[in-house]
Amino acid sequence: MELYQYREMLKNLVRKDLRTRYKGSFFGFLWTFINPLLQLLVYTVIFTTIMRFDIKNYAMFLFVALLPWIFFSNSLIGSTGSIINNKELIKKIFFPREIIPISVVTSGFVNLILSFVIVFIALFISGIGITPAIVCLPVVLLAVYVMTLGFSLLFSALNVYVRDLEHILGIVTMAWFYFTPVIYQVDMIPAKFLKLFFLNPMTPITLAFRDILYYGKAPDFTILGINLATGVLLTIFGHQVFRKLQKNFAEEI
Amino acid sequence: MEVIKVSDVWKSFRIYHDKGSTLKERILFRGRNHYEERWVLKGVNLSVEQGESVGLLGENGSGKSTLLKLLTRIIYPNKGTIDIRGKVSSLLELGAGFHPDMTGRENIYMNASIFGLTKEDIDRKLDDIITFSELSPFIDTPVRTYSSGMYMRLAFSVAINVNADILLIDEILAVGDVNFQKKCYDRLRDLKRQGTTIVIVSHDLSSIEKICDKAVWLSEGSIQATGNTKMVIDRYMQFMNRKQEDILKREQVRKEGRHHAGSDGEAKEADPETGRPENDPNRWGGKEVEIANVRLLDSNGEQKYSFAYGEPVRIEIEYVSHTKTDEYVFGIGISDRDGIPCYGTNTRIDGLKIKTINSKGKIQCNIDKITLIEGKYFLDVASHAEDGRAYDYRKNLYEFAVTSPVKDTGIARQEHQWIID
Repeated sequence: MELYQYREMLKNLVRKDLRTRYKGSFFGFLWTFINPLLQLLVYTVIFTTIMRFDIKNYAMFLFVALLPWIFFSNSLIGSTGSIINNKELIKKIFFPREIIPISVVTSGFVNLILSFVIVFIALFISGIGITPAIVCLPVVLLAVYVMTLGFSLLFSALNVYVRDLEHILGIVTMAWFYFTPVIYQVDMIPAKFLKLFFLNPMTPITLAFRDILYYGKAPDFTILGINLATGVLLTIFGHQVFRKLQKNFAEEI
Repeated sequence: MEVIKVSDVWKSFRIYHDKGSTLKERILFRGRNHYEERWVLKGVNLSVEQGESVGLLGENGSGKSTLLKLLTRIIYPNKGTIDIRGKVSSLLELGAGFHPDMTGRENIYMNASIFGLTKEDIDRKLDDIITFSELSPFIDTPVRTYSSGMYMRLAFSVAINVNADILLIDEILAVGDVNFQKKCYDRLRDLKRQGTTIVIVSHDLSSIEKICDKAVWLSEGSIQATGNTKMVIDRYMQFMNRKQEDILKREQVRKEGRHHAGSDGEAKEADPETGRPENDPNRWGGKEVEIANVRLLDSNGEQKYSFAYGEPVRIEIEYVSHTKTDEYVFGIGISDRDGIPCYGTNTRIDGLKIKTINSKGKIQCNIDKITLIEGKYFLDVASHAEDGRAYDYRKNLYEFAVTSPVKDTGIARQEHQWIID
């Protein structure tokens, strides 16, 4: 497969992104950790002192779900504009164009995995600790990677033709964030809407991360399995659409 | 073995007058023709055998670069098919993906991986690439510290060491200094010997002649000629000469129209003093002997504006005399487009003493062989008095071109042979 032939390019793009993203800033690569921690701080202050949720160890409750969400939304926003941002490359040289969104998602994913180091430290400090359920973590990570990739392939290709996507995405991801049980518990959702929330593919993923890391129990494998399958199908579909649309990329951008 | 097969390929581009790529515009203006369809390639067929070197020639906009882009799969045809067997490397864009903050070495890895090389491939070729680029002292410094020449050298070294089966090159052989260019040519010849198929787009006919076994001439999206490089280049040059002549002719007509403010040659003669604007900066003198017209003729006596190197050129000067004097001097001067004088002489310098002339007549100056190098030139014609005072000096009166397959430099070619022991 052609994509496999170009694996070195993918690796280099990811490395370049990780190395050059924070170039010139004082904290450099540390921003990878500082950014989510600051977000965590804001939400924690609001939801423990102003709008008080009665959740034990709310910071950790939020943290384990917030990191995957940040990965998802950043990757989505990043890859949607990625084809246009790389127009010089696309107009001038041949390579499988999928590499571009894949590299965006993958570099975000590497960041996610690195930031889990902090999650583990925090879990020990907060006294929650780690349970054997941790062995399920790779499955959830895979699920969130595949799901993000599917959306990213689709959006990055569509955005070349309909540039509105890039602009509307900010509000879409914001709404999506609040309709995903990241900052609140799933049992706070009114029962009649619960089904709707499970149509959101990010709901099972968020719950699974929380089950494994916060509650220290195995996630619901049926739901997670369905989610993973959905992600795979979405990725295949997104890739097909991408393949079809990429033929005119060089002319459209 | 056929490695490139282009069958009946059509390609059009949409030229948007007012491009709408937002949803609103898409919906609102659906069905409205906000673009025009421009066909850049109209049914191109091409077959390239393994190990062949093919040069694509054509004017700007003939579709040759589009064809090359189709071969690299950056764009796709509207109709027709392109089959390519083997690994393609394109030297269309040098230094793709270079990041200024990364070192030369890191950029080699980055750039080569865009060509589809794996880590092991690059590890193996790294030394070759660095040696070829002659940049080993700087290879671990960021490329932003490189000069543009160094940058291009690095980029070219990667592209040419990729070991492709098919190499596509677009007008980039002007990389680096003379030594480096020579190295590039040598490297191309090596690759050719090793059986690499090469397709080159270039305006530089001599480099195509040097490298290619076969040439393809594209004009307005269709192939005009295919075959032996020399033959195709000849036909292409003939076509271009004719075309250039047409352009120069039109320009000349326009200029004359402007100079004479609508009046033709006859009217001018009838009214020599008042009929023409005096503020023409390219004309001066007392007009005692007027230069009425000048034409450049080829050996068949036909007026031309473009001559091949070595062709005979006849300069025909029409004059009108209003005065009687002891000696008349007629002169010519040729300067290039930068205004640098290339050659000048007059009848007096050449030892002619013209005592009398008719009140109206022609003077010819025959050049047996035009030895100017390729380029655009301007002809000045003048009539003088004995003491050098200008009767009528007409600067840049006639514009003409010299074409040549040889790209030497300077002003005039010195006939020469090389002897190598």
